[in-house]
Amino acid sequence: MRETIQSWLFFRLLFKPTVVFEELSNTRPSPYSVFFRFILWLAVLPPVFSYIGTSRYGWNIGGAEPLFMTPGNLLVISIVYFFALLFGLVSTALIAQWMAGTYGARHSLGIHLALVTIIAAPLAVGSAVHLYPHVFINVLVLIPTLMWSMYLLYRGLPVVLKISPERGMLMASSLIGWLLVAAVSLLGLSVGLWGSGIGPSVGV
Amino acid sequence: MMSSKEIPEDEYYHDSVVRFLVMCSLVWAVLGMAAGVYVAAELVWPDLGFNQPWLSYGRVRTLHTNGIIFGFGVSALMATAFYSVQRTCHVPLRLPRLAWFTAVAWQLGVLAGGISLLAGINAGKEYAELEWPFDIAITLLWIYFGIVFFATIANRRIKPIYVSNWFYGALIIVIAMLHVVNSLAMPATLFKSYSLYAGSQDAIVQWWYGHNAVGFLLTGGFLGMMYYFLPKHADRPIWSYRLSIVAFWAFTYSYIWAGPHHLHYSSIPDWVQNLAMVMSLILLAPSWATMVNGIMTVSGAWQKLRTDPALKFIVLSLAFYGLATFEGPMMAIKSVNVVSHFTDWTIGHVHSGALGWNALITFGTFYFLVPRLVGAELYSVRLANIHFWMALAGTMLYILAMWGAGVSQGLLWLSLDQIGELTFSFKDIMASMPPYYLLRLVAGLIFLSGAVLMTFNLMMTVKGRATVRIRPPAVSTSAVQS
Repeated sequence: MRETIQSWLFFRLLFKPTVVFEELSNTRPSPYSVFFRFILWLAVLPPVFSYIGTSRYGWNIGGAEPLFMTPGNLLVISIVYFFALLFGLVSTALIAQWMAGTYGARHSLGIHLALVTIIAAPLAVGSAVHLYPHVFINVLVLIPTLMWSMYLLYRGLPVVLKISPERGMLMASSLIGWLLVAAVSLLGLSVGLWGSGIGPSVGV
Repeated sequence: MMSSKEIPEDEYYHDSVVRFLVMCSLVWAVLGMAAGVYVAAELVWPDLGFNQPWLSYGRVRTLHTNGIIFGFGVSALMATAFYSVQRTCHVPLRLPRLAWFTAVAWQLGVLAGGISLLAGINAGKEYAELEWPFDIAITLLWIYFGIVFFATIANRRIKPIYVSNWFYGALIIVIAMLHVVNSLAMPATLFKSYSLYAGSQDAIVQWWYGHNAVGFLLTGGFLGMMYYFLPKHADRPIWSYRLSIVAFWAFTYSYIWAGPHHLHYSSIPDWVQNLAMVMSLILLAPSWATMVNGIMTVSGAWQKLRTDPALKFIVLSLAFYGLATFEGPMMAIKSVNVVSHFTDWTIGHVHSGALGWNALITFGTFYFLVPRLVGAELYSVRLANIHFWMALAGTMLYILAMWGAGVSQGLLWLSLDQIGELTFSFKDIMASMPPYYLLRLVAGLIFLSGAVLMTFNLMMTVKGRATVRIRPPAVSTSAVQS
């Protein structure tokens, strides 16, 4: 069983995902290498894109004028965004590893981080739409990206973790539950920050 | 209570009333969801009302909510309560004629109530819009439902009362209490009454009703469904029976306080708002205990997924149940609520529960139940599998569209300019919403199409087949005494 993941593997996700799953099923990567080579960069992309987009164009959320933020405020938000994503990615891998016992899946943290990388890769690339910070355009682009991610989760999980498709279905659905909670937590966290004066100026 | 194993020769479960209620529930699902899709379309193209009052948003929207909650939801709950109480008590329904009367009269009541809403007869209380003659009819029919259910339990051949019956029992008792207290009113004419409560008291009573209707009907009632059908489906006992009982009491105790979180930053006392917020947060514990119990029960039954398309719906419904029961307490936190309230985020939250939890668990239950009622295979497993992906796609798209719309609205409502005045007008904000509403309309259409597929599939399954007659099994003496 190989111990490293070739970087180009993830570019093939778009065209031949099943090949990627098969490759990963025969790999036992170290968690540190997956974290520093992939996860970290996936978490960096969206905040960088949104920082560039917001500082240039402001967020168009539907009102007549786009919303601009002070550079300091924007930086704080981008850093919080980065850490929230990093927390989301790593905690998802840890939760998947925790669930592995219940569903008889592989236990190594490295492979769970790699699985999370597969699921998150389309979203991280899709977050390039943050360069044009219009909420509806972002929703429109991120929905098909999210569908692709969910497809990769349902199809990839059983292969990568070497369990039957049925157990994979159960585990993927349990992970969806966690991911939905994580997504809504991110919304709640953002709203909480706005209320405490970080982010757009709101009258609360 | 009988102590012998003998079952009388002519004793059979009363399942034809269950079949009738399931079929009615399917019809209401399609009609109620179609009404929802129509109002969603009206939000994109307001001219769809064609200047007809009965087609206006305000009237069709109440038809949608009432049709789904009282038509689809309650019919499904009555059906599954009648089905499972017989199996868990090992006796046929007591008073089967009263059960039939309740089932048929309920459908006529929902139909007449729906027409009255389209006619503009409306008591003005959300989810309690029907006027006083309907309120009295609902009270009577609900009491009959309770009489049949509790009389069957009183007649049981097994001493322990299984946990699903605790939830169905709580549904019947608490909804009766909520409905009667909230509907107290002084009639002025046949179709107009005035609430006995005034001002903020009226609001508190209304949301004590409204939130606990969500709690004990849309959550508790459907948990009763889950606790019976999930172990049956998975063919293994509930993961932790003790946890299910602890969660039941914790749920019942904490839910009842949470209603005023619908009234944050309003004229009701601050301490009432804060209490509701804290109790809403506590509510997360019993809600998630139940979710874990469900997921762990199903986790060992994965082989069933190979042959059983229904189990997938229940698995996914638990994921959305987890989302909805986390999102709810989070939105009850005042600093989140200040942004989320009066936005489409709330509508998204309601639908993550209504589509993702209530509808999916009901679909899964019906796919399991209907073939067994007529002793046949499901007409098309392939259609059920297609339905699963449509239901998932519709729900996800709906939630995402409403998250986008809701968070934008929340931010825009509160946005201040440099001199501290509101930056945007209500009209401008709403004018930017149609793209989200179009997305929501597509989501609703996908979900509705899935429900139509299911209705066709299940109707074809029962077509030309009689309801199977099943006798209660013999009960061992040890089970009777345990």
